[in-house]
Amino acid sequence: MKSGLRLLLWTAIALLGTLALATLALHRGEQINALWLVTAALCVYALGYRFYSKFIAAKVLALDPQRATPAERLENGRDFLPTNKWVVFGHHFAAIAGPGPLVGPVLAAQFGYLPGTLWILVGAVFGGCVQDFVILLFSVRRDGKSLTEMAREEIGRVGGLVAYGSVISILVILLAVCALIVVNALKQSPWGSFTIAMTIPIALLMGVYLRRLRPGRVLETSVIGFTLVLAAIWGGQWASQTPAVAKYFTLTAPGLAIAIMVYGFAASALPVWLLLAPRDYLSTFVKLGTIGLLALGIVAMHPTLHMPPLTRFIDGTGPIFAGKLFPFAFITIACGAISGFHSLISSGTTPKLIRRETEIRMVGYGAMLAESLVAVMATVAACVLEPGTYFAINSPAGIAGQLPEAAAHTISNWGFPVTAAGMQALAKSVGEQTLFNRTGGAPAFAVGMAHIFSGSLGGQALMALWYHFALMFEALFILTVLDAGTRVGRFMIQDGFGHLWKPLGRTSWYPSILTTSGIIVAAWGYFLWQGVRDPLGGINSLWPLFGIANQLLAAVALCVATTIIVKMHRAKYALVTLAPLTWLVTVTFTASWHKVLDSDPRIGFLAQARLLASAGGSARLIFNNRLDAVVTGVLVVMVTLILIESARQWLGVLSGKKEARVKEAPFVISRLAEEQG
Amino acid sequence: MTFLRMFLATLKEIFDESAYERFCAREGVGANCKSYALFLHESDQTRQQKVRCC
Repeated sequence: MKSGLRLLLWTAIALLGTLALATLALHRGEQINALWLVTAALCVYALGYRFYSKFIAAKVLALDPQRATPAERLENGRDFLPTNKWVVFGHHFAAIAGPGPLVGPVLAAQFGYLPGTLWILVGAVFGGCVQDFVILLFSVRRDGKSLTEMAREEIGRVGGLVAYGSVISILVILLAVCALIVVNALKQSPWGSFTIAMTIPIALLMGVYLRRLRPGRVLETSVIGFTLVLAAIWGGQWASQTPAVAKYFTLTAPGLAIAIMVYGFAASALPVWLLLAPRDYLSTFVKLGTIGLLALGIVAMHPTLHMPPLTRFIDGTGPIFAGKLFPFAFITIACGAISGFHSLISSGTTPKLIRRETEIRMVGYGAMLAESLVAVMATVAACVLEPGTYFAINSPAGIAGQLPEAAAHTISNWGFPVTAAGMQALAKSVGEQTLFNRTGGAPAFAVGMAHIFSGSLGGQALMALWYHFALMFEALFILTVLDAGTRVGRFMIQDGFGHLWKPLGRTSWYPSILTTSGIIVAAWGYFLWQGVRDPLGGINSLWPLFGIANQLLAAVALCVATTIIVKMHRAKYALVTLAPLTWLVTVTFTASWHKVLDSDPRIGFLAQARLLASAGGSARLIFNNRLDAVVTGVLVVMVTLILIESARQWLGVLSGKKEARVKEAPFVISRLAEEQG
Repeated sequence: MTFLRMFLATLKEIFDESAYERFCAREGVGANCKSYALFLHESDQTRQQKVRCC
């Protein structure tokens, strides 16, 4: 009876999911409710979790509840600690969810709502969740070792070096892109700049309060910090309307870029407790609250999607970024579908908290599904906007036109009606001077989110506050990624330099801290500056580069995972990781080929450099395009190397020439399993 | 009730409050400025290398 009911329930979920997906895919010329999108996502996730992740857990990985995890064997009350699965789930989700799943889907909405949505769902269920799940298990079985260490042990020295190089490269590009999004969101916005500037003294105050007045009361301190941030948003309105104050916060893009670089350097060199830790707490607090609020807002308001399922820009002529649906939709949305960066977290703090192997399925696979849902919500936020408004916000001036009338005319000619007066009214309603040419995805997401929130809470009167709340929320956790990333990058460089000269490897030696902080900030700062000076808006070149780097890192992680699966004598199931790996390699190599060699100057870096050279353009811009081409090429070469090394391992093991020996920690029977029977 | 308890426990873990409680229990000290400074010092390396995803 029970199994009959279960069968009925899962059949109903499958039918509902099919209906929702068919409704999304087959609707033409009619507007559709966002709840169809959410329903399709929830059904696909439920089916993926119940059936696919269960299959992987049982057949491919053979999770063993009797096997003691490092949290149990090496418990020290600090890094290694058996922790409740829901707590680890929350901890892991808070670490993997960042600005990526919000920004990528907003940018990819230029193709319409359908391609991005389908990629988010399929990519997460068969790619991203699988990567997070298997890497987490393999790290657990190796005492919480990092991806780089696992690559070195299982694939060899080349694997380790490539993994190290990939992580550094993706970090530099990621930080530059993050900074560029903040610059584009805050330029000429005294309200936004004031609010974000205030989060720095608020974080410092939190640091001092936490250390001197209420030691260890982080939640209480975060609530106070959050209240102060809300006051700063409210104060931002006053600042923007007071000319004497506004002039200090009305910053140009280059001015903001310099300010962010100074901030990144300070955050890397200052004591952690003073700035970095309180900001991290504050950002996490706002992030978790806002994501929950957005989900409630979408359900309560169930808005209509105004974006069509497919736009004309699938042909590659998109204004936000150039390039056809394949491969560019798939590298634009990384986080939310599959993100290589997650493999660093799955092989970082999380494996040291896992209490039982069987709980890894929920933490690894489940948390990625939750992040994927965040990406679906971002798609909703972008697609509830009128397409004309969406393109007016996201199109760079170099494509749409410098003046509002010209931009409105160009965008209307694309088939998405918009007027300069309408955009002016919208800008006024959110407390901005203009919303044209606000590339980067964050402002469009903020307008969409404000639209959803103001429809369910507070009405149009609070539109400006909701917009700036959304902008603050995005900028705050983008800056958190920036300061944490700068520090991690600094550590990695110190680690590398330490092999050349020991003192440089000492993480507490100030000359080393300052030098390596300077190097990492200069590296991402260079790309940021390049993006700020780019007449095409920067996002056109940097976001695809970031997408390629991030997914190539995922390819590295999947190479490691496939190698281990083959060595575990489970080659017949290797398709579980080999299929997403093949897809990622196809997508990223094709995208890299286009980004380097495409003859269209809006797509190919070298074509752009040639165009600039023939038109007597700036030598710096020509150099930057060639540099981007070289960086893309280097990433592809690195991944090709690890692919060759991995394939050698697979063939060696399968042909019996190589011993299939995995470098796992020895099996120890779990005391926790015995206690629980 | 169980849900609320679990939710609070998750928040306390994410925000390092539980880690500080464990530190105090392990070292046999109370919650004060001195022990918190020691806790921050001990967890400094881990905290500094904590990756935040994009």
